[in-house]
Amino acid sequence: MSGEEEENAAELKIGDEFLKAKCLMNCEVALILDHKYEQLQQTSDDPTSQISQVFEKSLQYVKRFSRYKNPDAVRQVREILTRYQLTEFELCVLGNLCPETVEEAIAMVPSIKTRGRAQDDEAIEKMLNDLSLIKKFE
Amino acid sequence: MFLKVQLPWNVIIAAENLQPEGLMLQREIILRLLGDFAVKKATKDLGYFLAVTTLEKIGEGKVRQHTGDVLFPVVFNAITFKIFNGEILEGVVHKILKHGAFMRCGPIENVYLSNLKMPDYRYVPGENACFMNDKMSKIGKDVTIRFVVIGTKWLEAEREFQALVSLEGDYLGPITTPDI
Repeated sequence: MSGEEEENAAELKIGDEFLKAKCLMNCEVALILDHKYEQLQQTSDDPTSQISQVFEKSLQYVKRFSRYKNPDAVRQVREILTRYQLTEFELCVLGNLCPETVEEAIAMVPSIKTRGRAQDDEAIEKMLNDLSLIKKFE
Repeated sequence: MFLKVQLPWNVIIAAENLQPEGLMLQREIILRLLGDFAVKKATKDLGYFLAVTTLEKIGEGKVRQHTGDVLFPVVFNAITFKIFNGEILEGVVHKILKHGAFMRCGPIENVYLSNLKMPDYRYVPGENACFMNDKMSKIGKDVTIRFVVIGTKWLEAEREFQALVSLEGDYLGPITTPDI
């Protein structure tokens, strides 16, 4: 954990390779792992031997913590969040935690306010509204 | 955070497993890769290895001297899970001790919330021991908690991560929303 600068996700200090890496929301991971799981059931003679503990625990986790289940809704969530000039990391934290108020959103992702991207409260409010609409119509 | 990463690896196929037909060889390489990937479990830099999603490229095989095994460079995409300092996450309590609670978060089994990092909660002993605050908010087994990560540790021998987390901050604590 040493390094020149202390790692801090709240300020987006997480190493360049991770900032540029594509992050995935829990609901996206759930879709991928679920699909993988089904594939293994069909193609392998002994599916349980192919599934690692890491896979199993993660699948359980993302199933419990996916706010959106329907694949279309999952796609729409990413599409909406992409409109707001967020980094991959910020986008996924918002998609995972689904804050209900502007204040909560800023508490969850403090960097959306500090990075000088002119993310005003109004824009955040609109983003949260759009997200809750998807949830409603899912 | 779950990450989508692209990795270059080497897959070694033992001489006796080499098949003359291209398709069988490809199958052998993929099976080998999936096996190696599952065994690897995690690395300090990339976190836990969940699943291979797509295979991008299989390079030219190189015969290794002495053994006759063939080494194939491959490039593939995979999903990993890495925990970051300052990240806000949700986990599920699986063990309550007098001095704190252990939670599961993704593939990580030991996410520790010390009672020093949940200042307004008090330990309530009993068969179903838990922590409670004055507003009757409860941290017990199977409760979902939102927390902030304050420290992570990589255990080389076990190939595992541990994390220290805290409830000090706004909008952190047990989550009551019934919709998840």
